[in-house]
Amino acid sequence: MKYILMMFGDQASMAEMRSAEWIHEMIQFMQTLNAELEASGELVAAIGLVDPSQAKTVRIAGAMPVSTDGPFAESKESLAGYWIVDVADEARALAIAEHVVAFTEGPLEVRAVADGPPPDL
Amino acid sequence: MSIPPVEDLLRELAPQVLGALTRRYGQFDACEDAVQEALLAAALQWPAEGVPDQPRAWLTTVASRRLVDEWRSESARRRREEAVALDPLPPEASATDDTLALLLLCCHPSLSPPSQVALTLRAVGGLTTAEIAKAFLVPEATMAQRISRAKQTIKHAGASFEMPPPEELPDRLRVALHVLYLVFNEGYTSSSGADLQRTDLTAEAIRLTRLLRGLAPAEGEVAGLLALMLLTDARRAARSDAYGSLVPLAEQDRGLWEAGVIAEGVALVTATLGRGPAGPYQLQAAIAAVHDEAPSDAETDWPQILALYDVLERVSPSPIVTLNRAVALARVHGPLAGLALLGTLDGDDRLAQTHRLDAVRGHLLELAGDLPAARECYRRAARKTGSLPEQRYLAVRAARLS
Repeated sequence: MKYILMMFGDQASMAEMRSAEWIHEMIQFMQTLNAELEASGELVAAIGLVDPSQAKTVRIAGAMPVSTDGPFAESKESLAGYWIVDVADEARALAIAEHVVAFTEGPLEVRAVADGPPPDL
Repeated sequence: MSIPPVEDLLRELAPQVLGALTRRYGQFDACEDAVQEALLAAALQWPAEGVPDQPRAWLTTVASRRLVDEWRSESARRRREEAVALDPLPPEASATDDTLALLLLCCHPSLSPPSQVALTLRAVGGLTTAEIAKAFLVPEATMAQRISRAKQTIKHAGASFEMPPPEELPDRLRVALHVLYLVFNEGYTSSSGADLQRTDLTAEAIRLTRLLRGLAPAEGEVAGLLALMLLTDARRAARSDAYGSLVPLAEQDRGLWEAGVIAEGVALVTATLGRGPAGPYQLQAAIAAVHDEAPSDAETDWPQILALYDVLERVSPSPIVTLNRAVALARVHGPLAGLALLGTLDGDDRLAQTHRLDAVRGHLLELAGDLPAARECYRRAARKTGSLPEQRYLAVRAARLS
């Protein structure tokens, strides 16, 4: 079963409230976690996004797609990065998420990656 | 990283075989497919059955056979196939020219830089599509499409497999050097992803630039680029700590620098500088050499580095060169002099989207003792950088000043 673990918030704001030592520990924590998930064969992807201030939004204006800067949403609503893991069951995905949240103290959203169509209905 | 001997040999022979085939039969795209299949066959057979006495002839024969099989299946081309089958292969005397012509074809100006990079790694580097896809963190099918489209573009541009006329050679060579530089940089700074560096790409860039140096030994910029890569790569082990955090040059443990690699780079720079006008790669290599030869940050010959940046800015002006010159200026004449030079870059559109002006300004403000302003610059830079390790590094710099 594949699950996506989505981390919201923005790393720069988070870092600005923390000490240099905490940031070092965070780097070590993430490196160790990714190495462990890789070693267990569960890691599919670990993606970090650049700061939400760099985001653009493309939407229809009239009949034409147009890109604008932003959204500039509340930073806590902005996607900061995600993992995709291939694990035995939901309990394992939740256990990984709990491990991360215990360190970052920020919420993680955990959701199954949708399957393809069933073989035969 | 140790490469198995068979793979090593295959990658050395790949461009020679492809070059010979393309020169003989034309149709670069079809030849390239055929050579890839021959390489795959060899990779399966040779480790088990032993390397043939004439590995290059073996690969050429197998690839030619694949090519003919391919043509045979297209009945409309039967006549050409007969012509092909009757002609013996030309002698192998010009393997050097073939490989150079092949590199220049892969770096054809009609291709976009990512396509030039992908095609060069496959056709000249002998890497598989899967290996290239992995190095650039894209799905294999995507990379296969990129390579396939690149080959179509070359075909439609009517590019021929010939050495360009002498008057075009410098420009074509410059593009090829830039492609190799991009491969190295992709490996060294990893434009995407959390890993700080991907050594497989830096090693491949160095291998191919070494190859090019053998093909064009008189070109100072080829030697310059090879020296720049070696002198930069020599610092690799010191550039990040055990947890992948960036360590700036000034704080690196110079005991971890590779003395042998530095010696080779310095020798290359020394041999080429002063023989004709120095190009941008030679100058950047000379700057890297000054850093690499300094026993410590404090003992760095900054006046020499500043003088080299002065020349580089005349030869190849860019806002990035000015940024670097500002750092050298600050080390020679004090941070205020450096900050004044940075002021000339405000409003430069080419820097507006990057974090680098803020990062350098933060550094110089820190040297000048204006810690609150330095912290703000580091924070702004952290928000703008596209690299996670750099974002974290800048966040730490800011946090240290709080």
